[in-house]
Amino acid sequence: MKISYNWLKWYIPDAPEVKKLADIITYHLAEVESIEEREDGDAVLDIKILPNRAHDLLSHQGIAHEVASLLNIKFVDPAPKYKIPESKKTDLKIDVQTNNCRRYMGRIVRNVKVGPSPDWVVKHLEAIGQRSINNIVDAANLVMFDSGQPVHAFDLDKMENEKIIIRMAKKGEKITLLTGEEKELNEGNMIIADERNVLGVAGIKGGKIPEVDESTKNIILEIANFNPTVTRKSAQALNVFTDARKCFENDLSPELGDYAMRELSGLIFEIFPDAIFEDVVDIYPEKQKEKKLSFRIEKLISILGMLVTVEQVKEILVRYNFSYTEKEGVFEVIIPSWRLDLEIEEDMAEEIGRILGYKKLGSPIPKINFKPKPNELYNQILFTRNKLLAEGYSEVMSSTFRNKGEIEVLASASDKNFLRTDLTEGIKESLKLNQINSALLGLDEVRVFEIGTVFTKKGEEIHVAYGNKKEVKEVELEDYTKSASLDASAQVLGSPGPQPRPDRSHKHASSAFKMWPLFPFIARDIAVWVPEKIESLQVSKVIKDNMGDMVVRGPELFDEFKKDGKISYAFRLIFQSFDRTLTDAEINEIMEKITSKIKENNDWQVR
Amino acid sequence: MSNGTKHPLSILSEEAYQAFLELGFEIATGPEMESEWYNFDVLNVPKNHPARDMQDTFWIKNKKDNVLRTHTTTVTARALEQAGKDGRLPSAFISIGKVFRNEATDITHEMQFYQIDGTMVGENISLADLKGVLTHFYKKMLGDEVEIEFRPSFFPFTEPSIEVFAKFQGKWLEMMGAGMLHPNVLHNIGLDPKKVQGFAFGGGLERIAMIKWSIPDVRLFYQGDLRLNQF
Repeated sequence: MKISYNWLKWYIPDAPEVKKLADIITYHLAEVESIEEREDGDAVLDIKILPNRAHDLLSHQGIAHEVASLLNIKFVDPAPKYKIPESKKTDLKIDVQTNNCRRYMGRIVRNVKVGPSPDWVVKHLEAIGQRSINNIVDAANLVMFDSGQPVHAFDLDKMENEKIIIRMAKKGEKITLLTGEEKELNEGNMIIADERNVLGVAGIKGGKIPEVDESTKNIILEIANFNPTVTRKSAQALNVFTDARKCFENDLSPELGDYAMRELSGLIFEIFPDAIFEDVVDIYPEKQKEKKLSFRIEKLISILGMLVTVEQVKEILVRYNFSYTEKEGVFEVIIPSWRLDLEIEEDMAEEIGRILGYKKLGSPIPKINFKPKPNELYNQILFTRNKLLAEGYSEVMSSTFRNKGEIEVLASASDKNFLRTDLTEGIKESLKLNQINSALLGLDEVRVFEIGTVFTKKGEEIHVAYGNKKEVKEVELEDYTKSASLDASAQVLGSPGPQPRPDRSHKHASSAFKMWPLFPFIARDIAVWVPEKIESLQVSKVIKDNMGDMVVRGPELFDEFKKDGKISYAFRLIFQSFDRTLTDAEINEIMEKITSKIKENNDWQVR
Repeated sequence: MSNGTKHPLSILSEEAYQAFLELGFEIATGPEMESEWYNFDVLNVPKNHPARDMQDTFWIKNKKDNVLRTHTTTVTARALEQAGKDGRLPSAFISIGKVFRNEATDITHEMQFYQIDGTMVGENISLADLKGVLTHFYKKMLGDEVEIEFRPSFFPFTEPSIEVFAKFQGKWLEMMGAGMLHPNVLHNIGLDPKKVQGFAFGGGLERIAMIKWSIPDVRLFYQGDLRLNQF
C-alpha cells in the first residue's frame, strides 16, 4: 500500500520525519518495503500491509490512526471539517437481492460538471501512483485511499431509471468493463444492475454503460459492502485485479460506510458548490455486532515472555480508543468496529507485544529437561552419506520433477509434470555433466550419490543411488543401511557411521562460494625433466609465474618418476575464462612462454 | 581414492540439527506428499486462502486432497500430535526437509527447496524463549557476532506472528517466519490450548547457505554439478 507522507501529515501533523516514521512502522506494525522521495518534496512509503490488518490499514486515515495511537501523538479528525450539504427527498430505489451484499448506500447528486480536479486532489493521487481522470472519478478514488472504503459513481442519466439492483448474475450475462474489456458472467459473479443492463461487477469494477464522462450531469454515488469470499472468487473468475477488489476481499467493516459517505459528499460538495444532494438510501439488513474480548494480563505475560503491567496495558488501550474494564488483571474490551482481526486473547498478546516492541524481549534458552528420542530415518541418512563419502562418492541433489513418471502434479508452472520414480536418472545426468568437468574437478573417476524421495503408485520411498560411469546402483535406503551394517559388523546401526577421513585434497575450504565460469575450459599438461635434486615446487613456481590469470585449477602435480639421475614432474593446468571461450591459439602461446622460461634453466627440459 | 564431497545443504542441515539437538530438540521426519488436512487445515489456513490455489501449490492428479507439502510444519505438527498422544509434552521438534511451491523459478525461487521447521510446546513456552532458541541457532550457523530481531508479521498458524531478521555483516536480512502456535492449531492436533502453548518457526535452508557462502543462485543447488560442493 502506497502512503503519501504529506497526506498522512494532514491527520498526524506531529509525525516524525519520514525515515524515522518508516522504522517505527516496520518495527511495530508492518514492513515498509521502500521509501520514494518525490520531486515535489513528498515521500511515499510502500507498506506491506498484512492480511490481518487489511481491514483497516489499506488507507491513509487507517495508517494515521494507528501511528497516532502508537506514538501517542495528536490525530486531527477531518470529519468535522467536511461540509454537509443540504439534502432533498429522493426517489432512488435500491433492491438488494442477495445477502452477499451486506450494505448498500446510494445517493443521487444532481447538477455536477465534469472537469479537472482541484490541485491538491491531483497531487495526492499522483503521489501514490494514481492517474487523475476527472473530478468525480478522482473524488471517488481519493475517498477510497483515504478511508479504505471503495466508492463508485454512476452516470444517472445513462441508467434505465432511478433503481439499482444488487443480485447474482445469470449465466451468460455480459458486461463491458470500464477498461473496454468484455466479460461473460455466471452465477458466481455479484453484479450491480438496473432493470435493463448490468452496470458493474460488485466490488470489483464498473461497467462501461453508466460511465461518468464529460457529458455527465447527474450521478449516483455507491458505497457498499460485499462478502469477501464471493468478491474474491468473482474477481478470480474474471481475472480482474483492482484496488476495490483488494479492499473487499480482505473484508471491510460495513460500519465504514457512514464515514465514507460523509467524506465523499463533503468532497463532492466542495468541488461542486451548486450540486443538489438527495437523501442517502441505506440498505443495511444486518448491522455489524459489537464485539467484546476478554483477556488476562497473566496470559499475555506468559505468551510474550516479558513483563507487562496492568498500567501499561491500560495506557495502550486508552491510546487505541478501546473501551475496557479491568478487574484483578482480567480485561474486558470492546473492539472498535474496524478491528475485525481481534478475536482471541492471543490477538491481544500480539497487539500489546508489537506496540511495546519485540526489541524488549529477552532471549533466554528454555531450561526444560526434554527427552528426545533418536530418529531412525535420519540416522540411516547420516550413516549412508558418511559411508558413501568415505568410499569416494560425492553428494548431489537433483530435481524431484520429471517429464515422465507415475505420479502427476496439476497445473505445474514448469513443463515437468511428473514426480521422479527413481534417483538413477538424476545420477546419470549428474555423472554426464561432471564427467565433462572431471579435469576441472581434479577427479580421475567421477562418483556421485543421492539420497532422496521417489514416488510410485505404491507411495513414496526414500532411496539411495550411487554410481560411476560404468554402473549406477539404486536401493531403498533401509536396505542399504541394513546390508552395509552387516558388512561392517563393527558398525552399530544408528550411530553416525564411518566418518570420512580428513581429506587434504579439498583446497576450497574457504568461506565464500566461487562461481564457476560458464565457458568451456581447456586442459593442458606439461612434463619437465630436471636434475634429481630439484623439487617439484621449484618447477611449479616457474609455471605459476608465467601462466597468466586464466588458470582456474593447477598447476597440479599428477605424475613423477626418476631415471638416470633425473626426475620427471608432470603438471596439469586448467584454463577457463568468465567472459569468453578461450582459443587454442592463445593457450598455445601461454604454454610456449612457460616452456621457454623452463628451458632458461640449465639441465631443465620439457618433454 | 579420496573422499567424496558433501552437498552444501547437507553440511548446513547437519550443523542445524546439531544446534537444535544441543537444546533438547528431537529430529522429526515425515512424508513429502501430504494430505490437505496436515498441509493446510491443521495449520488453520482458511478454506479459501490463496495458498490453496493450484497456482501456488502442487496438487496431485487422481489423488484427491493430496499435495506436495508446502512446508515442513506438517512434519512438526504430526510429531507434536503424536507426542500429545504419548504424553510426551513438553517436547521440541526440528525437521529439515524438501518442500514444494508451484511457481516459476528464478535466482531466488525454486519449485523445490529445503525448509527448516521447529516447534516447542509446553506449559509456559514464550516468544522470548523463541528468541533465545533462534539466537543460539543463528550464532551457530552464521557466527557469534550475529544478532537477531523480531518484526511483526502475520501467518494463519501463529498468533502472535513475527518475522525473524538476522544481522549478518552489518545488514539485517529476513530469515524466517515464526510465532506462537495459534490455539486452533493446538486444538487441531489434539492438544488443549488452555493447558499448553508453544512456538513454531520455519524458513528456507538455501537462504542460510546463500547468505553464509554468498551463493548467487538458488537453482545451483539442484543441478547435480559437483562444482557446487566447495565446502
